[in-house]
Amino acid sequence: MSKKRIYVGGEWLIGSTDPADVFTPEDFSKEHEMIYETTMDFVRNEIMPQMERIESKDFEFSREIHRKAGELGLLGTDVPEEYGGMGLDKVSTTAVGDAMGRAGSYAVTHAAHTGIGTLPLVYFGNEEQKKALLPKLASGEWVGAYCLTEAGAGSDALSGVTRAMLSKDGKHYLLNGEKMFITNAGFADLFCVYAKVDDEHFTGFIVPADTEGVSTGAEEKKMGGHGSSTRPVILEDAKVPVKNVLFEVGKGHKIAFNVLNLGRWKLGASCTGGAKQCVSEAVKYAVGRTQFNKPISSFGVIQNKLATMTVRAYISDSIQYRLAGLFDDKLDTLDGHAKKEGMENAKAIEEYAVECSISKIYGSETLDYCVDEWVQILGGYGYCSEYPAERSYRDARINRIWEGTNEINRMLIPGTLLKRALQGRLDLLGAAGKLTQELVGFSPLGVELPDTPLAVQEQMVAQCKKIGLMTAGVAVQKFQQKLIDEQEVLELIADLAIEIFAMESGLLRAQKQLDKNGEEGAKYHIAAVKVYVDDTVPKIEKWAKQLLAYVEQGDTLRTQLAAVKKLARYQPIDAISLKREIAERAIELEAYPLFF
Amino acid sequence: MNIVVLCKQVPDTESKIKLLDDQSGFAEADIKWVLNPYDEFAVEEALKLREAGKAEKVIAVAAGPKRAEDALITALAMGADEAVLVEDDLFNWAEAYQVAQALAAALKEVDFQLIICGKQAVDDDSAAVPGMLAELTNIGQMTVVSKMELNDDTVTGWRDVEGGAQEVLEGKLPLIVTANRGLNEPRYASLPGIMKAKRKPFKRVGLADIGLSSLEPKTKVVGWSLPEPRAEGKMFEGNSDDLPQRVSEVVKLLVDEAKVL
Amino acid sequence: MSDVLVLAEFKGAEPKKVTLEMLTVAREIAADTGGKVIAAALSQDAVGVGEQVGPYGASKVCRVNGVSQYHPQGYAEVLAKLVAEEKPDIVLLPATAMGKDLAPRLAAKLDVGLASDIVGFRLEGGEFIAKRPVFAGKAFNEVAFLAKPALATVRPNVFSAVPGEDGAATEEATDAAVGEALTKLVEKTAGDEGQLDLTEADRVVSGGRSLKSKENFAILRELAEVLGATVGASRAAVDAGYADPSMQVGQTGKVVNPSLYIACGISGAIQHQAGMRTSKTIVAINKDKKAPIFQLADFGIVADLFEAVPLLTQEIKKQTQ
Repeated sequence: MSKKRIYVGGEWLIGSTDPADVFTPEDFSKEHEMIYETTMDFVRNEIMPQMERIESKDFEFSREIHRKAGELGLLGTDVPEEYGGMGLDKVSTTAVGDAMGRAGSYAVTHAAHTGIGTLPLVYFGNEEQKKALLPKLASGEWVGAYCLTEAGAGSDALSGVTRAMLSKDGKHYLLNGEKMFITNAGFADLFCVYAKVDDEHFTGFIVPADTEGVSTGAEEKKMGGHGSSTRPVILEDAKVPVKNVLFEVGKGHKIAFNVLNLGRWKLGASCTGGAKQCVSEAVKYAVGRTQFNKPISSFGVIQNKLATMTVRAYISDSIQYRLAGLFDDKLDTLDGHAKKEGMENAKAIEEYAVECSISKIYGSETLDYCVDEWVQILGGYGYCSEYPAERSYRDARINRIWEGTNEINRMLIPGTLLKRALQGRLDLLGAAGKLTQELVGFSPLGVELPDTPLAVQEQMVAQCKKIGLMTAGVAVQKFQQKLIDEQEVLELIADLAIEIFAMESGLLRAQKQLDKNGEEGAKYHIAAVKVYVDDTVPKIEKWAKQLLAYVEQGDTLRTQLAAVKKLARYQPIDAISLKREIAERAIELEAYPLFF
Repeated sequence: MNIVVLCKQVPDTESKIKLLDDQSGFAEADIKWVLNPYDEFAVEEALKLREAGKAEKVIAVAAGPKRAEDALITALAMGADEAVLVEDDLFNWAEAYQVAQALAAALKEVDFQLIICGKQAVDDDSAAVPGMLAELTNIGQMTVVSKMELNDDTVTGWRDVEGGAQEVLEGKLPLIVTANRGLNEPRYASLPGIMKAKRKPFKRVGLADIGLSSLEPKTKVVGWSLPEPRAEGKMFEGNSDDLPQRVSEVVKLLVDEAKVL
Repeated sequence: MSDVLVLAEFKGAEPKKVTLEMLTVAREIAADTGGKVIAAALSQDAVGVGEQVGPYGASKVCRVNGVSQYHPQGYAEVLAKLVAEEKPDIVLLPATAMGKDLAPRLAAKLDVGLASDIVGFRLEGGEFIAKRPVFAGKAFNEVAFLAKPALATVRPNVFSAVPGEDGAATEEATDAAVGEALTKLVEKTAGDEGQLDLTEADRVVSGGRSLKSKENFAILRELAEVLGATVGASRAAVDAGYADPSMQVGQTGKVVNPSLYIACGISGAIQHQAGMRTSKTIVAINKDKKAPIFQLADFGIVADLFEAVPLLTQEIKKQTQ
């Protein structure tokens, strides 16, 4: 039996991926489907009817829901079975997060608990800690929270000043400081707290909420997420036993960065679930709302919105599940023993840190777009709290900010890629070099394309990769180590990378459907990808030109711009008609039309 | 004592029903298939009886095409112990009597004392299989039950009848009980349950395996149609003087035309 | 030639309305095909059946004594014997609680199929083809019968009960012995005094802000009682304190799906429509003829609800009782 190909993180920039290797929602096993359905049923029956109660900060009720979720196994998908969890694959976790994305403020409680609240222990806890604490978190008996951020340490997380001093008898650390914006703080049982030992060594600590010296401040008055608790956590000589050190003194940053990777991808998944909900709700409303004697779903402007929302959500879905598949394939290569060592898992996931950042950025920005258009489609009613769009609009905004702002995540993408290039993990520079040779004699018009539905899109994505690689290569050559200070350039490279990954993910998914079900069976997948590529190629061209115009001048610039122009050359397609088809499909089903 | 739960796979009630171009049936393309909601009450009741120590095994049984296995897997995920599928394409919109005969044949091999199932399937709404099965296997029946108790070998069932009234029936096992909404609150298929389901015994049998060489129908569906689209409403404008007349007219139409009174 | 056997169901001594509806249907079939209609009466309480069913088309009533209390096996045994004797082509039972409990058992006993809950029929070359709802009425099946007798349960309140010219039917009484009941009726409890939950109700009467006070909702409760309906309210009425939040129908309230929805003094904005638009028949009463509810209503009465609702209550009482 041939072994599954394991893709290197970022490899998609310089190589191609076989559609058969990519995990798509259409590949769900029966178990995956049922897991998704159970979570959706839970959200529909237990949470949606009680939104008002949850929004009123009835945390006792939130705990009740949390326990019910725990009983169903919805809190333990990432926790190994031997510690009371379900020990399921990452696709299962994505499916749960996807469905939870419709659970309003409880989704925040759930995500914080299962992600940053539980994973530090899963990956970096020792045997004793895992045995004692994970079962309670997985069952929902306890609620977990994560204390990293401080008033002066947000994006610059490691600049925190909370301190930990070892007691004279060497048995305890005394923690002092104040953590900000801690999700679940109002009713958490367990905190993972970061503090600097001797003002220097960044360390993670396990701190039960009833520890002497631990208290919480008042609830933040927020724009949204009213049903989720957000408070400062105050540590005043908090007495934490030495055995509660997580991992190693001075290695807290390892915990933080690794947990962030998964946290980002989980966020991407739940944002995408929320985006799909926007489409379903908006189309249901549009079909029922009559103006000028017609349902507004029949108006082109509305159809345009519905289609764009659908396409964006489709691409986001493709990214989330592709990433889940990459994780699962990589984790499968670890032998049983290594899988048990949480750290090995974390390392495997670190392989895809760039993709995790992309997932978070793309998911949060897609949700913001969709939630905004949902409000717009509802018109005046969208502005009123009678319809859930209003709350969802306010709830969505935080996603571009937390778990690493989208700006930080954008900086990380080229930063990480370059680091790996220099480490020899990813041959970016070699590929960029080869490209320069290739582009000298390149002529896109000479290439004969096969007569398959997605041939043009396949070619365009490949060209865009070249544009991205070439442009990034030029920037690296010019600035070398100083590139880190050229944030606008880094931003542009990030955007190029994000959209390339996005287009490719959608393309691979559609291609897989096409191979399996033929053109008619993959009709709407193909339409979505065509529309998306059509919309995105000009953006790629624009960004590349902006970057080049900053970096180069004169003849060099002219040559490079010409190369970009050649690569980006593309016959526009009739996206308006394709979008109408996609909208009509959503209208026919009165729901988001591209999930299993 | 083992309990058999009869299951059927049906389209989700939110599904839009579209007819095929030749009107010979409905389009299955966009259908989301689920376990019949009324059968969920049956599964739950059986599980509760098992948990109370009154039954040993809960066996989910269905007749259907291959895709019907998903409905049985749902029952297994909820907690049923075993599943049996009488698999044949003819069960795709088969008449109730064919289904009843197939189930009767399949159940010959099964050791059970109690059968619980939903009062009707939400696709064909026939509500006929349970009664037919009861007659074929010569056991008693309690239909449309919203409360039941089992004490030793006696079942007490509260049956919903017209006017919100209830009949309290008693009968000895073996019996078939059909479940109405309100019997209980069906549990979710928990994630542990979902993962355990695929390891539970699942028996697939064809008609030949249960001794039925053929299963000839006694009725035939000769046409499908959709309801008339909602006609434009009738307005009754006037003043206080002619109001009694207008009201009388409307009521008459409600009785004669709309037939809702 | 199609002979039709109808199982007559009684409420006390009187035949239920559905019995007369079935007989009307049977009479039509018999007339069309040159057959006859036989009524079967198994209830011990029925009195003067011949006079009551004769005008509706039955030429003969078979009174069977021997099943003191209904149980499905007993009735099935008796009817199967009758069928063997009278050899009808078609057998009709009411789609009532009793009929739905009995018909499948009878079908298996006779080794025939069953068309449940029929709402229409036609005769094609003398053959009986029944129409029945599927998917909760989202579609219909036409069912033909390949074995005799054709067995069907008839939905109440669909067909008209129309007496003809005929006089009383002859009565034939027989005694029957049936096997022991496998289930016994131990008790019958009266109908629940409380209303059905809005989401389950088959009939709903709703009030809007025009009711002006909590007390005024009493006139809707009177109408609801006559109809056996549950009372609902619009968001405006709830916000104004005239109705309990549990009564709210609409986007942020409950979604109802009754056969009859009567909206009194409700404007019918889209949030309210979201909660009741799938109702089978909608009646709206509103002073303002431009109210959006009239776009959705099947019957719209432009009037002051305080005048119209009491009249409606009276009229319904008159025409249905």
